[in-house]
Amino acid sequence: MIEAVNLTKVYHIPDKDPGVRGAVKALFRPRHTSKTAVKDVSFAIEPGEIVGYIGVNGAGKSTTIKMLTGILVPTGGQVRVLGRDPHRERVANARDIGVVFGQRSQLWWDLALRESLTMVGRIYEVDDARFQRLISEFSETLELKELLPIPIRNMSLGQKMRAELAATLIHEPRIVYLDEPTIGLDLLVKERIRAFIKRINQEKGTTVVLTTHDLGDIEELCRRVLIIDNGVLIYDGSLETIKQRFGKYREITFETAADLNGLDVPTGADVLEKGGRTLSLRFDRTQTSASRVSASIMSQIEVIDLSLKEPDLSMVVKQIYQGGLKETA
Amino acid sequence: MISTLKRDLRAYGAIVATVPKMFMAYSIWVWMSWFVQIIAVVILVAFWRAVFSNTATVGGLDLDTTINYLLLGMIFRAGQNTDVLYEIGEMMRDGRIGITLLRPLDMQATYYVINLANMGLNTLLSIPIALFAWLAYGLSLPNDPLVWLAFLVALLLGNAVMFCFDWIIGCVGFYSTEIWGLSVLRYGFGLFFSGALIPLDMMPDWLRTIASVLPFSQALYLPVSILAGINPVSAMPRIWLIQLGYLVVFLVASRLVFGRALRVVTVQGG
Repeated sequence: MIEAVNLTKVYHIPDKDPGVRGAVKALFRPRHTSKTAVKDVSFAIEPGEIVGYIGVNGAGKSTTIKMLTGILVPTGGQVRVLGRDPHRERVANARDIGVVFGQRSQLWWDLALRESLTMVGRIYEVDDARFQRLISEFSETLELKELLPIPIRNMSLGQKMRAELAATLIHEPRIVYLDEPTIGLDLLVKERIRAFIKRINQEKGTTVVLTTHDLGDIEELCRRVLIIDNGVLIYDGSLETIKQRFGKYREITFETAADLNGLDVPTGADVLEKGGRTLSLRFDRTQTSASRVSASIMSQIEVIDLSLKEPDLSMVVKQIYQGGLKETA
Repeated sequence: MISTLKRDLRAYGAIVATVPKMFMAYSIWVWMSWFVQIIAVVILVAFWRAVFSNTATVGGLDLDTTINYLLLGMIFRAGQNTDVLYEIGEMMRDGRIGITLLRPLDMQATYYVINLANMGLNTLLSIPIALFAWLAYGLSLPNDPLVWLAFLVALLLGNAVMFCFDWIIGCVGFYSTEIWGLSVLRYGFGLFFSGALIPLDMMPDWLRTIASVLPFSQALYLPVSILAGINPVSAMPRIWLIQLGYLVVFLVASRLVFGRALRVVTVQGG
């Protein structure tokens, strides 16, 4: 359904010296630097999958999504979506996909939601009966009923995101790209949106590609994750596998009575954070134990408090972002 | 083919329908626009009366014909100002270009129909200005439907020429992501060479030649001069042919430039 082969995108970014002098200089002798946002990324996504696409800010997630949707042309490599080149066949591709950019609206700012949805329905050629059915369905699942007469500019962030989802799905696309759909939302709205995404995937078989920083979204929705770091795909596999692979690590944090000077790190543990009177260590529980690590620290310095953190997805991802995959490869 | 056409009409019709709704969202815009235009009419008439105070004709035109032409130019000026440059510049700067390109529509065709709707809406909103100009300064309009028909065809052709011309300049924004300077230049040139400030007949020969070669006069001077009686209806077939020539050249060029520009588009922001 979606196939990327050695997908690469290089941006040419203006390189200006600081200050007015730099601005004037750039006017006469503009300089550019090249930045590889995505490098040789390859993956295939099957119909009906929900795939989480994660990485730190600037890792290349949004650039990949923009190439998959056809609005950006790859510098190298190939991408096929439903058998098409999404850029060359942009209009045909656009009919089969839906995209939510969490930080950008596709709705008309000054129009009431009902009018915006009507426009989207007509643009995507949704016939009237189907449109009415979907509106009443979304009114229920996304609790849109009270929002329909309200202009988008008067909506809260959470209401806007629910409206965006309805606009994205009103033509029942086969693939949906969700680029940080829960950014800035409160827990209740997040849960409602996750439930909605799960429902359209299960009931309509919609393929979902989800980029997010919210690991709750990933845990709740995705069985498979792609992890991108510095433009390079560093992991493509099941969520369960990485949880097991990195789940052997635990974190222990000490608060000490004195400053941490010249402390020996216990065998089998690594320093995650060290500053003032706080020390966070990560240890492999197959090599050592929490009691051994804490005994070693307590023998060197007075400990006021300590906490032990069981592995969760945020820990796993933190380890991966810190190069964990390279270390364990 | 017919079903595709019907489908496209429905989709582009939906886009057209947004134009008046967006415009009317803030009623103060409408009132302010009327107020500003009435002030502009008063200044324009006072200025040209001063110019003609010591002479009966300038460039072969008398005071009444000049004022009538310029008032009509104000009422129908929307044909010359397509707003496309401003729109593309904004979209490139704030990254909205990404959302626009995600719609299953040809972007250039979408903005052409928006431009047509804007032109129609602005012309409708000029009716109170026309009424004011008629009551205060005796604005005269032709009675012959043939003149109106000739005007309408010339206006639509001229507007299409200007739309394609602006589209080509707008595509520069795909490379530079900033076209504010170019748009200021374009609107400045447009104001002068379209005949909106002074009728082209008043320009010296060399300047008039430049103005007639540049596309700006296609959507203002040529159609409005028919309405004002400066150009006779019998001159229209020749004028339409020239406009068609411009349109073919600019349409082909705009499609080529746009096709290439899409390959370098950068969507700003995450």
